[in-house]
Amino acid sequence: MNVHDEMSDADVLRAAADALSAIPMPRAPDTAVIITTGRARRHRQVTGLSIAGTAAVTVVALFMSGVFGAISRQPAGSGSRQPSHPAHAQLTAWTVTRLADGDISIRINQFKDPAGLQSTLRADGVPASVTFASQRNQACRPYPGGTLSPGSGPPSPLRPSALLKQVFPTPYQVLGAPPGTGPARMAKAAGAPAPPPSGNRTVIVIDPSALPRNAGVELASSDAAASALLLPVVVYAGAQCTG
Amino acid sequence: MSNEEAEFTEFFQASWEPCLRVVAAVVGSPQLAEDQVAEAFAKAWMSWRKVSHHPAPRAWVVRTALNTGASWWRRRSRELPLADHDVAAPGDLANGLDVSLLTAIWRLPRRQREVIALRIFLDLDTDTIARQMKIEAGTVRMHLSRGVAALRHELTSNETTEASR
Repeated sequence: MNVHDEMSDADVLRAAADALSAIPMPRAPDTAVIITTGRARRHRQVTGLSIAGTAAVTVVALFMSGVFGAISRQPAGSGSRQPSHPAHAQLTAWTVTRLADGDISIRINQFKDPAGLQSTLRADGVPASVTFASQRNQACRPYPGGTLSPGSGPPSPLRPSALLKQVFPTPYQVLGAPPGTGPARMAKAAGAPAPPPSGNRTVIVIDPSALPRNAGVELASSDAAASALLLPVVVYAGAQCTG
Repeated sequence: MSNEEAEFTEFFQASWEPCLRVVAAVVGSPQLAEDQVAEAFAKAWMSWRKVSHHPAPRAWVVRTALNTGASWWRRRSRELPLADHDVAAPGDLANGLDVSLLTAIWRLPRRQREVIALRIFLDLDTDTIARQMKIEAGTVRMHLSRGVAALRHELTSNETTEASR
């Protein structure tokens, strides 16, 4: 009998179980958060409403320590109010902050009330269109170099242009860095079943001074029920698009 | 708290970790798995009257989580592929883990990994796994057999290597 025969199927499975069980796993979220999320979805199903508060929004995000130590501004719009349901009561949906260098930081916990976020950005001097992807403003036209362009080779990653990196230092400058450098990562915004840890909120930074004179920004979040993407792009500014 | 909520809470608390471990074994990332499993539990609560009478409710959660992950992944890869940024590699894991065996597990075809994880963490029999994965029981046995054989090879190779040092 060789060593190969000495391990039964049960032995192999036990060894696999031991190896897999040794991996640290995230702790369970509060049951109330799960229930609240499920309830909100059930309500949306019944009422036929599309996604809003509790759908998970996954975007490219960067966590920069110290970014939020800058000048803070009270955001306007209902999106910045406390959500009504208890599980998320400790979180604002989103926060817009003007940083010391004039950049605008958007921290998103939940992608809800896009119109409110849009108004807040416009009030801060950023021509903006903020929508769910399914309701994108058809009047918005991409500015040259304002969208991601396909790269080459499998899996063909999308490449941010220089304009995107300038207008959106976060996330696009980080995206443009080679893998493994900098704090780039995919992060989950709140609105997911569990409130994320502070480092996992979605942060988008806009540098308004980098916008061409006739350009604005568009943020469109997919309204998929499970997870969605939020892609910041540069568009032509205009009354019908960015106000 | 209603009886329904209490029942779900008990199920959730007892099932979170085993379901998470199955999904993590399949997708290869505890963080991705966490999102997908949380999503699946929210859906389970949405359909609790149905799920609570399901013959294998944990398997329902796992299947839902994996389906959620698949659709999420497809959407993401279509809209913003970011290879290397969020998929855990064995090298990322902390010291003290059996990296060679974990690598071998993650090298298995996904179906084999899923069958093994369902067997290990949910203790499901072949017929139940077959129903959940919507495949024939014979196919489940084949996946299990091939997966176990590959892992056995890895384990015995390691033993042989260590013995010869």
